[in-house]
Amino acid sequence: MILTLITFLPLIAALVILLIPKERKQAMRWISLLAAAGQVALAFWIWKNYDPSLAGVDDASKFQFVERAAWFSVELGNYVVSADYFMGIDGISVAMVILTAIVALVGVGASWTIEKSVKGYFVLYNLMSTSMMGTFLALDFFLFYVFWEATLIPMYFLIGIWGGKNREYAAIKFIIYTLVGSVLMLLAMIGLYASVADPATGRNTFSLVAMANQQNFISGSALFPTAENHLLRTLAFFALFLAFVIKVPMVPFHTWLPDAHVEAPTPISVVLAGVLLKLGGYGLLRINFPIFPDIFQEYAWWIALFGVISIVYGAFCAIAQTDFKKMVAYSSVSHMGFALLGIAAVNSLGMSGAMLQMFSHGILSPMMFLLVGVIYDRAHTREMEKFGGLAKYMPIYAGFILVAFMGNLGMPAMSGFVAEAFVFLGAFSQEQTRILAVVGTLGILLSATYLLRAYRTMFTGERKPNAAYEVKGHHGEEHAHFHDWKGNIDMDGREIALLAPLAAIVILVGVYPAPVLDLMTPSLNKVAEILSAATNIALK
Amino acid sequence: MPDLIQYSLYVLLLPLLSFAIQIFFGRRLPRQGDFLATGLLAISLGISLVVFFAAFGQENFRQEWNFTWANLGTMKIQLGILLDKITAAMLMVVTAVSFLVHFFSMGYMAGEPRYAQYFGYLGLFTFSMLGIVLSNNLFAIYCFWELVGLSSYLLIGFYFERDSAAAAQKKAFMLNRVGDIGFWIGILMLFAQFQTFNYQEIYQNIADGKFAWGEGWLTVAGVLLFMGCVGKSAQFPLHTWLPDAMEGPTPVSALIHAATMVAAGVYLLARVFVILTPDALAIIAVIGAVTAFFAATIAITQNDIKRVLAYSTLSQLGYMVMGMGVGAFAAALFHLVTHAFFKAGLFLGSGSVIHALHHEQDMRYMGGLMKKMPITFATFTICLLALAGLPFFTGFLSKDAILAGAVGYANVEGGWAIVIPVLGFSAALLTPFYMGRQWFMVFFGENRADQKPPSDNHHHHGHGEAHHHGDVHESSPVMTIPLVILAAMSFFFVFSPNPLDGERGWFMQAIKTPQSVVLTNEEKSRLAAEVMTGALSGEIGKNLRQEKLAEEAHHAHGTVVALSVSLALAGLAFAYLAYLKNIGAVASPFVVISKMMNWFNDTFMEGAFVRGVGSLGVKFSEFSGGFDRLVVDGVVNLTATLSQIAGLLFRKLQTGRVQTYLALALIALIGYFVSKLI
Repeated sequence: MILTLITFLPLIAALVILLIPKERKQAMRWISLLAAAGQVALAFWIWKNYDPSLAGVDDASKFQFVERAAWFSVELGNYVVSADYFMGIDGISVAMVILTAIVALVGVGASWTIEKSVKGYFVLYNLMSTSMMGTFLALDFFLFYVFWEATLIPMYFLIGIWGGKNREYAAIKFIIYTLVGSVLMLLAMIGLYASVADPATGRNTFSLVAMANQQNFISGSALFPTAENHLLRTLAFFALFLAFVIKVPMVPFHTWLPDAHVEAPTPISVVLAGVLLKLGGYGLLRINFPIFPDIFQEYAWWIALFGVISIVYGAFCAIAQTDFKKMVAYSSVSHMGFALLGIAAVNSLGMSGAMLQMFSHGILSPMMFLLVGVIYDRAHTREMEKFGGLAKYMPIYAGFILVAFMGNLGMPAMSGFVAEAFVFLGAFSQEQTRILAVVGTLGILLSATYLLRAYRTMFTGERKPNAAYEVKGHHGEEHAHFHDWKGNIDMDGREIALLAPLAAIVILVGVYPAPVLDLMTPSLNKVAEILSAATNIALK
Repeated sequence: MPDLIQYSLYVLLLPLLSFAIQIFFGRRLPRQGDFLATGLLAISLGISLVVFFAAFGQENFRQEWNFTWANLGTMKIQLGILLDKITAAMLMVVTAVSFLVHFFSMGYMAGEPRYAQYFGYLGLFTFSMLGIVLSNNLFAIYCFWELVGLSSYLLIGFYFERDSAAAAQKKAFMLNRVGDIGFWIGILMLFAQFQTFNYQEIYQNIADGKFAWGEGWLTVAGVLLFMGCVGKSAQFPLHTWLPDAMEGPTPVSALIHAATMVAAGVYLLARVFVILTPDALAIIAVIGAVTAFFAATIAITQNDIKRVLAYSTLSQLGYMVMGMGVGAFAAALFHLVTHAFFKAGLFLGSGSVIHALHHEQDMRYMGGLMKKMPITFATFTICLLALAGLPFFTGFLSKDAILAGAVGYANVEGGWAIVIPVLGFSAALLTPFYMGRQWFMVFFGENRADQKPPSDNHHHHGHGEAHHHGDVHESSPVMTIPLVILAAMSFFFVFSPNPLDGERGWFMQAIKTPQSVVLTNEEKSRLAAEVMTGALSGEIGKNLRQEKLAEEAHHAHGTVVALSVSLALAGLAFAYLAYLKNIGAVASPFVVISKMMNWFNDTFMEGAFVRGVGSLGVKFSEFSGGFDRLVVDGVVNLTATLSQIAGLLFRKLQTGRVQTYLALALIALIGYFVSKLI
């Protein structure tokens, strides 16, 4: 029941909000907040009660909090298509579930200032929240697919209606990009259904757990792992791969991301960077790689290569940006490259580094986007050249910026460092990816370049002549103010309340990652085992 | 957990506590918490003295403690603490200088904005520096290495409203990152081989010949680890950040950019010393010697009181690095310790002067301060003589030992290696010269404050009040007491009973050069030859090369003493003639060399290397940005346009995006099953 509850709590909130008259904005906010807080409480309960010794992955009995029931069964001629309502948690999903709950709650807090058609906004927000959570919990491919698709539609509207000037272009680009991926995923899913049988019933199944074990492929089916099916398996692998890496996003499929972020309102950027990008990495680990370990083996080096290209290229692009938010968006591309590199290393260190990077980036990037939102609300511009010397007038804001920047550039004692260090250690230990790891270290230098540059431009030195804020008062007790901003010049209580817990998580995980790491290592080691055990069938 | 390990944990964590208190509550505390931060450091110092005496009271002191930081199932990452005599000495130096700087800052920084934060940052720095010293593994030392970088960044940019300070903090961080990438790859290499970060386990593995990639790659690993030192200890060619770092408050310069953090590179070399191959050591020796000489020449023509000291620090760090390179392990560490005290004394002394002159830093407008600031003058003089390398002061003992090592190294290696002692002795002449210049310009002659052009307030600290020149007087006791203590630590008897020989002193007696674990190809063939001839004696595991170096250094000692004493006296005499008697002919050869080196430094090191590579990077990133927008995204938009055109052709099929897509999906699904059924 717990998984159904944590998934559909926001949906219930959405239904309640539908019944409320649209003038009662505050009630809608509080209902959403309550649902999100409920999710966090449930996630906390899951964290406490999760048994990290069980690996899961390809063994249905080693999943936890499992809920399984027949969902539907359709007869097509003499062919029966049936899907289950099958949910469960293992080490691949548990950290993502916790992350999703936290980010969704922060997102509601960040939505407090949205005034444009509040009712529609929160209905869509809660729909999206439900589908995100469901995607991480679904163990039936069909169910996964439904949740996956269900995240897209609310996102489309949330960017397209509540976004900035160019919102429609960004929203359409986002939806087309991801729909291309979805169509490919659908095809691969159908092929897999036809090829995999549930060991318990002997009937075709959408179960991702069954698919993760090569023994469950039906002999003679299209995707049965033999040499003659190599081409079909490769095609299916890349169909899934494309669907997921568009979401990650991996260079060169990343250009939807900067546009989507720049146009999206702050809370949607928070959710997009914090959770939706992780759906891609999660899909690779849960679906794409364990189901086609042989094909993965064949292309692991290339995946690592594109991971490193994302790290370095994304960082170079970030340096070139003058818009604060766009810089942060490109830095996401760069940081998610570490996840790819880590997975492609196929060892404990690389895998846990990749997963930790997804968790860490899932906390750090919402911080960054919230911080961008703070200054954008006040100045109505994100051009970094329009500030200068802000640290003097906004010391709390500058403090949080420093924490977020240092976390992002891989300062030890913060989560990003641990994740990236593990990725490097894992990738360098593997002969295949060693050189790529060395090239990837360039990312450490480049991330410091764009972040310290941003800090230098916006926060230190003197106020720029054409700055977006004015300074009044005598020497020694100047006050800064933004043109039409009536609130605090520095961060207010709500903003601090959103950022402080995230900062705390970043530091706690960075100092002592074991509480998060221990949840995931058995499952990740299992995945690494599956992936490295697979031999290349084409060569056999 | 053994008692001493527990004590050292308190030493480590008290400054962190100070940081947390100061950042969150500092401003609400009386006196903004300065007494609290200083008090916590005093306790930390007290405990580290206990550890220090316990460690040096025993013959072979070594304690280690580990805990599992991360367990990945297939492997564990263990971190921990290593306490030996080197650690104990460093604990004492770091907490002592840090405490004195805290104390001094209560006077120097009084009335500054962000006063509470300042003490917080000092606490963060002290914590991270102690972490470097206490770590027993490369992973943790790297973490703390970055954290001292962070606190250095925060403190260089303490007056971030000034553009120059903001630029300096960024530059320091970036150049350190360049070095750190090398350091990190070096760690990756060792970890990939041995699956451990622990020093002792790495030594053992290499001693057992388990480094599978051969001696050449071990040299590479050593040089990569050394890159961390090049960044942090500001060695050539990554040195340019340190002079700029003088933008930070002066007590910070004393603590971080003279006494402790910049010496961390030398400490790192000490920790990895035994796995460095002779080739790696040669590179280290050359880099150190070049830095020692190069920086000393530049110091001659600097006019900013702090920048002279900054280049002097570079030069002295060069000595330490050179010492490690030539195998004078104990001497290099000894110089680290003695330098920490007298250089902190010089920086705090200059702080006392700057404070008294209301933030005047230009020596051209000083002069005649001897009578007005007698305590500052006396303490500054003692520390200066220690730095200049005069007998009866600590600097002489340690520098002398390093130079003896350099001479020994040149004798053993022969040929090109003569460059190293030549550069070393040249720097030994230049050091008393530039320090003498500073001494005469600041404390002797007439006061020249009135010669200052009125518009030249470059180093103005942002105080609104009008300057009060003229009424210069000695600083308050809160500032002079640390000066007196640091000056007292600069007399020879603190470290050795013999004013001319540090070897007999407790430090050099307690800390010995460890046996190298690198089995070089040369050693291997020697061993093989001895096995063949049956001459294999009890010499296995003894590194003949190291023994020879030590022996030669010992022989050279007498010559070196005579030479370095005469150079020190000559340097001071030249400075006296040139800058007190104003005989231009004496100064000009030094000035000419200095100007040349300055030009080289500005044009190539700052210009081509730092700014050139920097702007190249920016250019390339602008290209990437444009490429991304025009090409990568262009292809996407082109595809979209093409499919729109296709869409126009198939308009009749199109009833709306989502519907079309669902229909297409359904058709695909049905099509698939149909094909399957047939």
